[in-house]
Amino acid sequence: MTLNILNIGFSNIGIEDIILVIIGYSIVFAALVALFYVFNFIPKIINVIVRNKLRRQGKHITENTDLSVTGEVNAAISTALFLYFNEIHDKESNVITIKRVSRRYSPWSSKIYGLRNFRKP
Amino acid sequence: MKRISILILIILSLISFSSQAENYQANSQLHEVQDTVLKKNEVDKSIKATSQETANSSINSAEKGVNRFISFTGFKNVTYSHIIMILVGLFFIFLAIKFDYEPLLLIPIGMGIIIGNIPFYQGEGINIQLGIYQQGSVMYYLYQGVVKGIYPPLIFLGIGAMTDFSSLISNPRLMLLGAAAQVGIFITFLGALYLGFNPAEAGSIGIIGGADGPTAIFLSSKLANGLHGTKNLIGPIAIAAYSYMALVPVIQPPIMKLLTSKKERLIRMKPPRSVSRFEKIMFPLIGLLLTGFISPSSLPLLGMLFFGNLLKESTVTKRLAETAKNSLIDIVTIILGLTVGASTQADVFLTSTSMLIFILGAISFMIATAGGVLFAKVMNLFLNKENKINPLVGAAGVSAVPDSARVVQTEGLKEDPTNHLLMHAMAPNVAGVIGSAVAAGILLSFLM
Repeated sequence: MTLNILNIGFSNIGIEDIILVIIGYSIVFAALVALFYVFNFIPKIINVIVRNKLRRQGKHITENTDLSVTGEVNAAISTALFLYFNEIHDKESNVITIKRVSRRYSPWSSKIYGLRNFRKP
Repeated sequence: MKRISILILIILSLISFSSQAENYQANSQLHEVQDTVLKKNEVDKSIKATSQETANSSINSAEKGVNRFISFTGFKNVTYSHIIMILVGLFFIFLAIKFDYEPLLLIPIGMGIIIGNIPFYQGEGINIQLGIYQQGSVMYYLYQGVVKGIYPPLIFLGIGAMTDFSSLISNPRLMLLGAAAQVGIFITFLGALYLGFNPAEAGSIGIIGGADGPTAIFLSSKLANGLHGTKNLIGPIAIAAYSYMALVPVIQPPIMKLLTSKKERLIRMKPPRSVSRFEKIMFPLIGLLLTGFISPSSLPLLGMLFFGNLLKESTVTKRLAETAKNSLIDIVTIILGLTVGASTQADVFLTSTSMLIFILGAISFMIATAGGVLFAKVMNLFLNKENKINPLVGAAGVSAVPDSARVVQTEGLKEDPTNHLLMHAMAPNVAGVIGSAVAAGILLSFLM
């Protein structure tokens, strides 16, 4: 089934190409399945290590096996902390535009160089 | 008396002689003057002739200059293909500004298309160092980063520094969706072979299904760069990949709806657990070692991706992470977008091959989306009710980060306004980045 003009046809696809596709797709899967197993396994190892550590320290081990907190809870806590630390308005001076200068004396505001000095004898 | 008369005669003769001599002198002077005048006239004539000639020649040279200028202008060299490409560039800019479709990519690419398609004089054997394909031009040197595959790894460094893999770590089974969606790459590879492309070109075209611009550029710069009997397809492939990435909100939703039932679209997934810092640090290290050993050819991309992520997650290299995810990626994106756009010079780009690449790219995207959705449905057959996956999430397996995850969120909210799928969709989305980079590495090692 080959159209000579456009060089279109199944004859363009060799057995080696089919093998490439099968092997290639399998390798992509294999790489991500391997990562899946590793990261499925890591939390379990961490749990075991934490439990052993607590046992050695003689601390009470809770019956609750689910030590994790959901991302939503974490998001709520972190938002609350962010608001608390970064957006506190209660202690603000309410003076936004006028800034008090540290050096108060200036010849411009001096009483010695006032206009009334000229009238003095 | 005789003497006196002789004397008078002598004087008279002398006088007559002197007058004659004077006359002669006067005459000779007159002749001289006349000669001088004549000569002067001749000189004047010759000067006039010369000046006329000079004027004529300067007019000629000015005419030549004007003609040359005209022959160098865009108006003289413009063809229909240039105008079509300029309109395409303007359309990209319009899409970016009006509809907010990937503006960070489409504006540089659109502007690049316009710059690359301003017509200029191109004689055979003449290099005026203007075009992107003319050695010595500024655009030529900037384009070398694309041709040599330098920019894509730098983009991956930035992506790594930006990406939060926690959703993936908290629910690792979603990684499989990222792998499943790569089916688009391999089916399109076969499709391109069927249409008569050689294997190296077909591999480069197939990677468009990975929905990852930098990966597509990286692979096509290695496989379809105009060397070793291949065509230079970097421009069309890059444009196709980025265009379809921008068009994810248009391409994906119909396929997602077609392949899922309303009941499936309403599935609520278990919220992701929190991930410890230790796990976040281990992910790039283990990820690099595993994928690097499986597919070393993908190291330039995955090495940089995981390196960027380690900069972020280690929390001790904040400055480097900030640079990688802000300044560095911005600079590279600007140059990459501009040069990829400019590489679509009408005479190189507007060919039947480019049209075929665009068609194959669209099909590739659709197959990838369908692959992810269908695999999520297959996974649901083996999962208990608590752990069921909303099949819409499978569509995010194509690695257009974060657009496809955003599309999943939008489609999920259309069905149930309280069902937020964004965090779940981010997992297969970033797994798709890893998957497409691994696939690129495999194709590279098989076909190079």
